[in-house]
Amino acid sequence: MQTFEFDFPGDRPATQRAHVGVVASADLEVLVEPSDGDSASVRIRTSVDGFDDVWRNVLERFFTRYGLTGSIEINDFGATPGVVSIRLLQALDQSTHDQTPESRA
Amino acid sequence: MTTETDVEPLVPESAYVRRDSFIERDARSRAFALVDEGSGRELVDPFDRLESPWLQQQGVVPEADDGVVIVKGTVAGKATVVIGIEQGFQGGGIGEVSGAKIAAALGLATRDSRAGTPTSAVLLLETGGVRLQEANLGLAAVAEACSGVLELRALQPVVAVIAGGLGSFGGMSIVAGLCSTVVMTREARLGLNGPEVIESEGGIAEFDSGDHALVWSIDGGVQRHALGQADVLVTDDTAEILDAVRQAVSGKAASVLASRDLARLRAHLAVIDPGSPPSPANLPDLFATATGPRGSNRPQAVAESSGRGSAWMTSLADTVPTAVESTVIEATIGIDGVSAILLAVVPDAGSPYRRARHGEVGLLEGLVLAERVAAVVAEDADLEVNRKRPIVAVVDFPSQAYGRLEEMVGIHLHLAAAADAYATARTQGHPVVALVVGTALSGGFLAHGLQANQILALDDPAVEIHAMHKPAAARITRRTVAELDELATRIPPLSYDVRDWATLGLCNGLLPVVDADHPTGDEVALVNKQIGAAVRRARAGDRGLSGRWSVETSGRNRAATRQVWEAMTQQWR
Repeated sequence: MQTFEFDFPGDRPATQRAHVGVVASADLEVLVEPSDGDSASVRIRTSVDGFDDVWRNVLERFFTRYGLTGSIEINDFGATPGVVSIRLLQALDQSTHDQTPESRA
Repeated sequence: MTTETDVEPLVPESAYVRRDSFIERDARSRAFALVDEGSGRELVDPFDRLESPWLQQQGVVPEADDGVVIVKGTVAGKATVVIGIEQGFQGGGIGEVSGAKIAAALGLATRDSRAGTPTSAVLLLETGGVRLQEANLGLAAVAEACSGVLELRALQPVVAVIAGGLGSFGGMSIVAGLCSTVVMTREARLGLNGPEVIESEGGIAEFDSGDHALVWSIDGGVQRHALGQADVLVTDDTAEILDAVRQAVSGKAASVLASRDLARLRAHLAVIDPGSPPSPANLPDLFATATGPRGSNRPQAVAESSGRGSAWMTSLADTVPTAVESTVIEATIGIDGVSAILLAVVPDAGSPYRRARHGEVGLLEGLVLAERVAAVVAEDADLEVNRKRPIVAVVDFPSQAYGRLEEMVGIHLHLAAAADAYATARTQGHPVVALVVGTALSGGFLAHGLQANQILALDDPAVEIHAMHKPAAARITRRTVAELDELATRIPPLSYDVRDWATLGLCNGLLPVVDADHPTGDEVALVNKQIGAAVRRARAGDRGLSGRWSVETSGRNRAATRQVWEAMTQQWR
């Protein structure tokens, strides 16, 4: 198991809590909570060691594109980058429910 | 060549195709699907962050809800709590926190039902049983869940839904056996020991876990329904499951509960020849022809039997132990002028049940324990509480019986019957004491020992209390035995050392002994005295199990259990 922490600047605050996914094989859970400040602070616990760069890239791409801010926690059980992105999009949708990803993209 | 419009659809557009699959939902979605729209509220949700305190220390990623979702709402207008186990997380395994969530939800539903707000419970069981990474605390939590189901079941329906794909195994199959109604799909499975476990314990000839037709012919929903061990068989369709749950929740409780119907279990066992077991396909007809109790239930002289259970029983008792069956012995001991009953499961190399010859708790043993304890409760029903006979479970057995025949007949119900009888004795005011003199593993201990008010254990290196024996636990958690031993030095619930077990809140006395196989007169006298003291504590104390996780008995080791109860109590309304 490995733990990472990242911070990404952004301008689209989470307005409510969101919880998606399950810590099941090849899946992950994402918890989003609103917080003060203009950045996303992300903590990841993953069952698969040695993918630091992949995580950084996947998260950087997501947060650069959507600018979500808040406190974000990820518990991962070996999800692929595609699944991680989909779960993050679901969490974005739920935590900023009045905004759709498309309205910004 | 055909065009697209010419092709007959491979599967006709049928109700089955259009159905809203329940199996495909996760636990949270399942739980909310069963409560009336808009009525559901999740309690102790992921944002309460009551996750397992034990997993991360072992390098295992926790889940924020520890794999159990509690949704309180109404079902067909009636107050109900839905308890959903997430099969994706750690195989639905029950740990300290997830188990405490189950027990607390059942406990609060019981409290409300007593206070005039009838509240029923629905358990969505998809679980392999005790989570081996939390071993003894998982086992403790399952025992508390058993007790919680029994208390609520006396007041309101407790419904088990086993939809699949995982099914319900291990200690949680005993919980299923205690529920007032069991709803299953044909995809679901129900059994005490999973096929893989039996194959690894007994070999591929005993149970080929890769043979899915065999597995479902024994554990599958269709078979359990045909045997009368599941009450309702439904399609994997949310609307159909909802309908079954609504009926079960609003209905009257079953007149005879499966785990209390000992005459039926006895009659079913009487038509089985363990030397030449029937095929699963013939079993439903065979059970249907079973009419009344047959078979032996006569006191026999005890055969020269090895093992500590028998040795300690003989040393402690005032009477010569008699055999209720060849593998269950009974004796009496005077405590404060009342004649207490001692019960132990012992080996019998000649038992017709091949997989229960070494002292395992099997079909016969579970049933006989249930019969004897229930008989004592019935005989003493009119006595003043302080005259009710104490019941002492002398515990030393390798495990429950791992066998194909056992699963086919439904050993989960036999162990549920024993757990039910012991818990009923306890709540009726009989002091129930477990005395662990040897090994006490897993489902066997749930049936014979863990429902006691008081648990005593000999302080001896060969006394071993655990959810699974060490090599199997190592294999399943993908560790070496050396790694498991190392983890156990830091993580008390994983330890096989009885002194560590004694810190978990379950132990009411660790009794010193020099040679546990050959107790001296002084040691026997001391244990005797301690049993007397335990009986007096049981008479004076609470008849529930909440004392096990108090700060006085368990210190930090069950801090998470207390947090769960606090949070659930606060959020419950």
